[in-house]
Amino acid sequence: MSTPLDRRPRKRRGPLAGLVVADFCWMGVGSVATRLLADFGADVIKIEDRSRLDMPRRLPFYKGEVRTYGEEDPNPDPDKGGLFNNYNRNKLGVTINMRTERGRRIAERLISQASVVTENFAPGVMERWGLTYERLRELRPDVIYGRMSGYGHEGPHSEYRSYGPVIQAVSGLTHISGLPGREPSGWGFSHMDNQAAYYNSAALLMAVLQREITGQGTEVDVSAVEVGINLLGPVMLDVAVNSRSTRGADFPTGNRLEHPQAAPHGVYPAAGEDRWVAIAVFDDADWKALVTELDAAEWAADPRFATQAGRFAHQDALDEHLSAWTRERDPHKIMHRLQAAGVAAAAVQHAGDLNERDPQLAHRGTFFELDHPVIGEARFEGSPVLFSGIEPDHWRSAPLLGEDNEYVFTTLLGMPQEEIAELTREGIL
Amino acid sequence: MTATPYHGLRVVEIADDPGGEYTGKLLAGSGADVIKVEPPSGAAGRRIGPFAGDRTDPEASLSFRWYNAGKRSVTIDDAEDAGRAALAELIAGADVLLTSLPPAQAAARGLVPAELAARHPRLIVVAVTPFGLDGPWSAYRGGDLVGLAAGGMLHSCGYDDHSIPPIRPGGDHAYTTAASFAHTGLLLALLERRRTGKGQVVDVSVHAACAVSGELSNPFWFYPKAIVKRQTCRHAQPAPTQPALFRCGDDRYVYFALILADQKPWRALVEWMDDMGLAADLTDPAYDDLAHRQANFAHVQELVEVFFLLMDAETAYHEGQRRGLPIGVSRAPEELFDDEHLRAREFFVEVEEEEGARPVPHPGSPYRFSSFDLPGPRRAPRLGEHTAEVLEGV
Repeated sequence: MSTPLDRRPRKRRGPLAGLVVADFCWMGVGSVATRLLADFGADVIKIEDRSRLDMPRRLPFYKGEVRTYGEEDPNPDPDKGGLFNNYNRNKLGVTINMRTERGRRIAERLISQASVVTENFAPGVMERWGLTYERLRELRPDVIYGRMSGYGHEGPHSEYRSYGPVIQAVSGLTHISGLPGREPSGWGFSHMDNQAAYYNSAALLMAVLQREITGQGTEVDVSAVEVGINLLGPVMLDVAVNSRSTRGADFPTGNRLEHPQAAPHGVYPAAGEDRWVAIAVFDDADWKALVTELDAAEWAADPRFATQAGRFAHQDALDEHLSAWTRERDPHKIMHRLQAAGVAAAAVQHAGDLNERDPQLAHRGTFFELDHPVIGEARFEGSPVLFSGIEPDHWRSAPLLGEDNEYVFTTLLGMPQEEIAELTREGIL
Repeated sequence: MTATPYHGLRVVEIADDPGGEYTGKLLAGSGADVIKVEPPSGAAGRRIGPFAGDRTDPEASLSFRWYNAGKRSVTIDDAEDAGRAALAELIAGADVLLTSLPPAQAAARGLVPAELAARHPRLIVVAVTPFGLDGPWSAYRGGDLVGLAAGGMLHSCGYDDHSIPPIRPGGDHAYTTAASFAHTGLLLALLERRRTGKGQVVDVSVHAACAVSGELSNPFWFYPKAIVKRQTCRHAQPAPTQPALFRCGDDRYVYFALILADQKPWRALVEWMDDMGLAADLTDPAYDDLAHRQANFAHVQELVEVFFLLMDAETAYHEGQRRGLPIGVSRAPEELFDDEHLRAREFFVEVEEEEGARPVPHPGSPYRFSSFDLPGPRRAPRLGEHTAEVLEGV
């Protein structure tokens, strides 16, 4: 199952093999963006600061200890954090104290050996270290400088502080999510950390492709708020073209679908504590298929439900009847039974379901395992994409703090062992 | 300025749902030539609302316009021999075939990704399907709600009140999450093709894309084996945490997670409340101690609720941010056009969708490159608008 515990860096495989990334990213959004590059063969060198630990190293994702992420240890073991492991597999890890002149000089040497530099600090931090795009180009003329932030590097709010839920609120994603007449339900996680990360991965790969074609590097500026606005969907054009107001009592529509007018279209209670099943009926054929599975329920013959328009108009009654049927049944059994009949349906799966009882994800090998010297065997979220010609190169779990200092500083920078030892003693590395 | 990396990249799109269509939109917005193949009656999306005004004609669907901006449209009837031949020729001349056909439909139409990739060695076939191209659930039907449910994202979203079901976030996020992976998957395949000269099949599952995008839900399972529970507009967690959505005086909301353990934001908040004369006893030095703050959390939360009720949401947002607090106003989409930051960045781009009609602001590109300009948003094509010019060229 797991790879043997040989953690020595090796030559990477994949479409990005040979690409060296000096990665200043931290937290979730930045680390997930460069994770894709590391998965597919790039040497992503994560640069960390021993005195300012990456938050995922601190958050209490530990085996056998259930805590919310606010309940962290005052002095956590930086190598024990599961979330860090999750975000930083396949990367190399070095430590540099960027608040020292010597540290910054070493970082510049590293950058000149890399061809991509990535960061997601608050705007101004890299500039404070002298690491402007202009300086980076002096170090490496065709450098790609990937900059990720909440608001983009220009504009009056560029220094606003943000993380996923703030981005979701400001971009409108929160407001368009919920039941009518209530506060928004919004999002139960930092979806915009994911999506901003994915867009950043794409932007970096576009820049790499561009450089392969033209030989030119580029600076990349991605704003998470602007990614979020791009994900609002057709409602954005509804407000622009039709001047629709989304602050009325009819919006948002919860699980009901206005366009097209699907019904039933919702999330229905199933047997078990807090278990649910999603069912989506778009037309008469779907409805007929659903009705054949409803165990000859009399209500299904109600003339109000005879047409799609009628079903849409009488959703309260429809949902009540359907809920009474689903409530008695296992969500997965409903899913399989309805899908076999051609009805779009799915159990509302939680992480336990995804990992333990989802044969489709197992078939695709979506999750995989790697060993870690402190954490032990751990699971990871792999690629949801299967390629016929390439595959991810999962060579190692996340680096221990400073694990690859010796490898990177000797092989890449040609630094003698004694110098590394001295710099370590002096707190530079 | 040089051309974009997608300059000259020809993408043929056979897609009827936002998974495939949004992938095509991302490519078109970045400079690819995306040719959408529609049946003579038009793609299904043309019949889905909302519509412009009271119209329902094939050019009036805002859903279609949103998901197909910047593409070209050709109509081909592939039930006919001539249509099948035209489509085959179009595919033979393409770099990328982008499809959202479920496996059975692809087989029925002679568009099986692996067969096409074998026939055209340089072709990259990007297939965005509900559950992937094979496996025990591959024939199952999808949809945005089904994708979010099966992929686990839905389980984390909704209200504190668990008699209310999980609530699907607005948008088409199962599809657009898959589209992000389709985009990066295609880029990896393009880079690989530069090395090997060979194309391949890129098999994107909406279900799997969601299954790896729940943020903390999987790590909470991987490590402490905990199942997170949904909470109103804040992170689902193994155990309940304090509300983070505050109603303001103008009936709008701000998101602000008060994390007691962080000393700096705590001080900034109390100072702000004190400046407004609303800090009550929170200025008491006893509150400098985390344990004291934790012991009196309910009291603190109550005072903060009152504090936000006495100002409007925009003021709370900007004043809070000025004081270094990560606070966000919950904006309605129609309020985004007036945002001074977005205006200064010229984010929205006016697009002339129809001759003589008022131009429509579309969101601009979310990524900016210093060495090349992306074309950004352009209008969606009219049905068959480019049939003659495209089919003449093949």
